[in-house]
Amino acid sequence: MKNVIEVRNLVKTYFLSDEVSVQAIRGISMSVEKGEFLAIMGASGSGKSTFMNILGFLDSLTGGSYLLDGVEQASLDDDRKAEIRNSKIGFVFQGFNLLSRTSALENVELPMIYRGGARPSEVRRKARELLAMVGLSGREDHHPNRLSGGEQQRVAIARSLINDPAIILADEPTGNLDTRNTAEIMGIFSRLNRELGITIILVTHEPEVADYTGRRIVFRDGLIVQDVQFRKSPRRGVK
Amino acid sequence: MNIRNLFVTAFRSLAKNKMRSALTSLGIIIGVASVIMMVGIGNSARVAVRDKVYTYGANAMSIDSDRPFTEKDLERLRRTTSYIRYITPMIGGRVVNIKYENRFIASRIRGVNNDFFRIQEWPATYGRYFTELEILSYEKVAILGDSARLALFGNASPIGRIILVNNVPFQVIGSLSELGQAFSGRDQDNVIIIPYTTAGLKIEGRRDFNEIYASTYSEDLVGKTADEIRRSLRAERSIPAGQQDGFTVKTSKEKLEMAEYISKTLAILLAGIASISLIVGGIGIMNIMLVSVSERTREIGIRMAIGARKRDILLQFLIEAVTLSAAGGIVGITLGIIIYLVITIAVGWPFLFSVFSIAISFIFSGAVGVFFGYYPARKASSLKPIDALRYE
Ligand SMILES: Nc1ncnc2c1ncn2[C@@H]1O[C@H](COP(=O)(O)OP(=O)(O)O)[C@@H](O)[C@H]1O
Ligand SMILES: [Mg+2]
Repeated sequence: MKNVIEVRNLVKTYFLSDEVSVQAIRGISMSVEKGEFLAIMGASGSGKSTFMNILGFLDSLTGGSYLLDGVEQASLDDDRKAEIRNSKIGFVFQGFNLLSRTSALENVELPMIYRGGARPSEVRRKARELLAMVGLSGREDHHPNRLSGGEQQRVAIARSLINDPAIILADEPTGNLDTRNTAEIMGIFSRLNRELGITIILVTHEPEVADYTGRRIVFRDGLIVQDVQFRKSPRRGVK
Repeated sequence: MNIRNLFVTAFRSLAKNKMRSALTSLGIIIGVASVIMMVGIGNSARVAVRDKVYTYGANAMSIDSDRPFTEKDLERLRRTTSYIRYITPMIGGRVVNIKYENRFIASRIRGVNNDFFRIQEWPATYGRYFTELEILSYEKVAILGDSARLALFGNASPIGRIILVNNVPFQVIGSLSELGQAFSGRDQDNVIIIPYTTAGLKIEGRRDFNEIYASTYSEDLVGKTADEIRRSLRAERSIPAGQQDGFTVKTSKEKLEMAEYISKTLAILLAGIASISLIVGGIGIMNIMLVSVSERTREIGIRMAIGARKRDILLQFLIEAVTLSAAGGIVGITLGIIIYLVITIAVGWPFLFSVFSIAISFIFSGAVGVFFGYYPARKASSLKPIDALRYE
């Protein structure tokens, strides 16, 4: 099976000053196959977010290599990276990161507008469809401050899907949500993985959340200390 | 990201801070309004001056001399130059008291011959000009300017009436059409015109005079004729080469050029002031855009995370700055036109609507936005996605 993500000896060091530096990731190697659904767990400060940000082309790496679909991250210029963030990867954050004073519909449309090439009517139609898919029909014109946390996260998921990404990266997507909303969000992720074959990597503290996935990786102090596949990832409708 | 979306985004974020946006544009508004106003006023002034100079006669010239002229000088000038068409002594400019029945006015008096009216192309509305006999025999006859006539006689006919000029009785034989205000604001129609012979004898108490008006057959002969007059007078008065004339020949053309020079200098000066306020306005925009960029760092991070390229962010902030300055430009243009219109109405100058200066002002205000918005926009676009996202 082909690996979408291939990480070798990845190192990330934050240089705080000339003398002080923090090594957030100290040499990680791992790979992710197409269509996998995996959870990253580990104590706070163990480097999970740092790792996700690198996978999501939001941050650069200090050492090692990261291949996405066989292409080395370091070889890409800023515009290419932006295009990959735009079309290949969907990011879902713990804090939702929606644009305030912008309607749910417009938040969802934005990545497609940045990609360009689509007619406004087409963008609108697709954004509506996705909002309907995450159960937010009729809330299109609501601004984020009038939506609950669970609803905001569903808008964020719809936004991450509008350019048909191959991968969704979700950094503690349910960290701010109650049990009911957590179950709903995880239900959506499972469906996306099962029905559309989207590769999903999510960070979580909660074992119940990790149970939705097929593989668990545990981080400690910038290293992987455990990597178990306890369920065969669904393969139906692989992208 | 297409232009429409960029503008919508820009308008929204400006609308979020209406007061701040308005205050920021103020510098541009003032700058552009003053450009529009100054250019307009400059043009109006130029046209107004030209109109006034042409009422004095485009072919006309005046000769002033400290050493007085006599009638012989007039004849000699006619003889020794080639293109003088009309020539008249010009006596006075002195203010006199005029009385008719129980009405008194103060008016300016001029002593001339009939050529004067032809030089100035100044038609009579009532009565007639002087006769040769009246001039030769020092007749006490007068022709009134329009406002002098109106003040003394109202709508009644002035012809044949006797008025007292400094207590000397004169008979009114005509009155002239209206010339309007001089550029200086002086009423050119408050005059009383009498034969130069009479003026010398009865008003000035001397027969010679210090000023001559003349005109040529056409405008392009004015310069040549002025030179001929200079040469002739120098020869007549035996002024050695290298010594100053002691008299001056002023042509309409020179007066016009002088007026244009003054209004041009004024325009340059005012353009300088206006561009300083545009620069200050631009700095205001830069300042507020820098504030905006740092306030919206997280927004920039989110946009980058979902795929905005550097140039998308750059364009977003640049368009915001340009929208701010161009909106200021539009308001400034409107304000400038209104002020300019009010001024022209108040002063009585022509209102000249200049599409060119409006276009230039608009383009300029947009350019100010681009110039001063570039640095903040650049700063926004060169943020690293993760740093912008993490910004608190
Ligand atoms: N921008 C940064 N500058 C300096 N240190 C950082 C930065 N981001 C994260 N770190 C450090 O890197 C380590 C890993 O952080 P993080 O990846 O956020 O952990 P986790 O998401 O697992 O809680 C922590 O020690 C944290 O303090
Ligand atoms: Mg984290």
